[in-house]
Amino acid sequence: MKKLLLLLFLFFLFCFYNGYGQDLSPKELKKLSVEELMNVEVSLVSRTPEKLTEAASAIQVITGEDIRRSGATNVAEALRLAANLQVNQLSSSVWLVGARGFNNVFANKLLVMVDGRTIYTPLYGGVLWEQQNVLLEDIDRIEVVSGPGGTLWGPNAVNGIINIITKSSKETQGLYASVAAGTFVKDMAALRYGGKMNDKVYYKIYGQHFDRNATEQSNGAKNTDAWNMSDGGFKINWDASSKDDISFQGDYYGGIRKTVVANSPLNGQHLLGKWNRTISDRSDLTLQVYYDRYYREDAPTKSYDKMKTTDVDFQHRFSIKKRQNFVWGAGYRFVKDDASFTNTASAGIVPRFKRLDLFTAFAQDEFFLTDSLRLIVGTKLLHNVYTGWECQPSARIAWIKNQTTLWAAVTRAVRTPSRFDVDYYLPMTPQPPTVPSVAGGPDFVSEKLLAYELGYRFQPNHVSSFSVATFYNIYNDVYSVEPKPGTLTYQIQNGSEATSWGLEFAGNYQVMRDWRLRGAYTYFKKDIHAKPGHNFNPSYLGNDVRNQVMLQSILDLPAHFQFDIVGRYLDPLAKTFATAAVAAYLTFDARLAYNLKGIEIALVGQNLAKKNHTEFGTFVIPRGVYGKITARF
Amino acid sequence: MVVLLVMTGFSLQSHSQTRANQVKAVFLFNFAQFVDWPANSFSSPTSPFVIGILGNDPFGFYIDKVIEGEKVDSHPIVVQRYNDADDIRNCNILFTSKSYSAIKNLQNRSILTVGDQNDFAADGGMIRFFIENNKIKLQINLKAAKAASLNISSKLLRLADVIE
Repeated sequence: MKKLLLLLFLFFLFCFYNGYGQDLSPKELKKLSVEELMNVEVSLVSRTPEKLTEAASAIQVITGEDIRRSGATNVAEALRLAANLQVNQLSSSVWLVGARGFNNVFANKLLVMVDGRTIYTPLYGGVLWEQQNVLLEDIDRIEVVSGPGGTLWGPNAVNGIINIITKSSKETQGLYASVAAGTFVKDMAALRYGGKMNDKVYYKIYGQHFDRNATEQSNGAKNTDAWNMSDGGFKINWDASSKDDISFQGDYYGGIRKTVVANSPLNGQHLLGKWNRTISDRSDLTLQVYYDRYYREDAPTKSYDKMKTTDVDFQHRFSIKKRQNFVWGAGYRFVKDDASFTNTASAGIVPRFKRLDLFTAFAQDEFFLTDSLRLIVGTKLLHNVYTGWECQPSARIAWIKNQTTLWAAVTRAVRTPSRFDVDYYLPMTPQPPTVPSVAGGPDFVSEKLLAYELGYRFQPNHVSSFSVATFYNIYNDVYSVEPKPGTLTYQIQNGSEATSWGLEFAGNYQVMRDWRLRGAYTYFKKDIHAKPGHNFNPSYLGNDVRNQVMLQSILDLPAHFQFDIVGRYLDPLAKTFATAAVAAYLTFDARLAYNLKGIEIALVGQNLAKKNHTEFGTFVIPRGVYGKITARF
Repeated sequence: MVVLLVMTGFSLQSHSQTRANQVKAVFLFNFAQFVDWPANSFSSPTSPFVIGILGNDPFGFYIDKVIEGEKVDSHPIVVQRYNDADDIRNCNILFTSKSYSAIKNLQNRSILTVGDQNDFAADGGMIRFFIENNKIKLQINLKAAKAASLNISSKLLRLADVIE
């Protein structure tokens, strides 16, 4: 017996010596990113870190390279590369971006962030895309999650999260300069320089400007919606120590939107600081502070909205004994709104000044039930000025094996009220019950979602990957506008309810070394109606296409040429009492570029399939062409 | 008993050495994703992508497992082992435990040279593995890579100690 044990012991020694029978299987190790690989302790077993592709949610990623090869000229256009989003351009400066339905001008169910800074406005819960100035060249990636993410993220993460992540100054060293001229996009120019102060401190400064031409009417006449924007900013990255990374960034923008009567100016600025401390490879801390302000004015009344936000956010991750990954955090947002509407006979926000502070805290634990099965449970707790405390729990389960992830989730998310739900008056001056008027939403509570999701992600080999996500959503307490009994005084209430379901498919395929395809298909269907006992037609709240297809082709040609195409098809939009019907459209953008020694000359055509088309409302988006020269040194 | 203790000590040392070499093997495989080779490095779209090992082979069968069935774009990855630098023909990544002087003659070819000797990168090699806080780190000689027309992605550079 002793002999046998000794033999067994020697056998194991032999195994170790030969590198077999160990936990570092080639397959497991290959799954790690380079960062993760650098964190593998070479004489101790460490936990297996999670890869983005193993995330238990419907995530689609647009890389900076995908954007640069698409010919997109701003963030909203770049978001067309994720077909789990519905992107509609309404006018020259207005884009609607939504996920899983509820697309309208005041769409309010997405959480959108740039480098951790929340950019949807608490005025109405949506994003003013024309105010979002990001140097596209420096985008590292855009993560688009369709479906609720309220547990980890904020109170608006009901139908999706868009996370725009820019590169560090270390990755954007040197000079970048580009100029472009065209038809619909009239001109664009950008300049960036990245340098380093010493081995630890890297910086970049940049500036950019564009002028965009007007859209048209169906009879060919020009609308008056041309606009321009300039912005400048900086980013500093400091490797303060081997455990501390500190970054500091800011941006200032200003622009003019033309309207029929006069010009409407807008401007804004932000400063953001972030400190990340790696306590060990199983634990890190992040502290983030930012200040953000915007001002936008509407001609001719000079009504304006001025929003000032200060946000402090902190997060701590650690793992417990290799079997659990725990993350928790808390944040406070100080928000001061000054919504000044000067024409009291018209619609406006009352009261003019309001504090919109928000407190959030969350905790999430990921349990490794077996080597391939994970359970992720967590909840967010938040406090807002309208409805007080709210809770957003979720439970997810993921089975991950051999480049395959199968996941399912049940999530509750809330869309907390915005000023447009509670403080909206038409007209602003009080009216007697016999005169039709809208008198705010004093009793408006949060809209609630209960979401069931099921997804599958598969990477059969090194050249292709695909994912499918399905969902069934149940919404309650959705927006409505109804008269108080026996009066013509309307109030904003929670008189609607909805269910929706759909499927999102996305795939990547490296056909050849020089040819890559990205494709996506989304199916969406919903049923929205007034709750029993309520009288309201909510159909205009969701102008959603049923079928949507996107295909991007990225091709390197011989002799330093590139030829790229992005095609997209969207189903028609039905007419509602507030919005026009929109025909289905199939259109494409194409880009031909020539690269030599850091100089790139590109010719880009946008919406080439037809002379013009309408995406939302009645304005006509014309075909556009621009030429662009870029230098990178 | 003494024999057992001695053997245990021996095995632990080998064990950590083996782990380090396993991580290094996966790094070699990963470099293929983070470095751009000039188009003329390949004679055809299906010609192999070669990871070469010169001299002593610390990876053994493990690296063959790592690259099994893998491709770089359309190029299937293969591992070749050389006794002498003169045997090297078409090679894309070359690992050696020897000092840089053993492969100095390769400097004009588009071969990503990787080593783990102390002065490997300082002497003109492109990437050196070293161990810090019990983890594998990279030192990159960017100038050497550029001289060989190899473009190392900024993502990798960001994570490495870069020497000019």
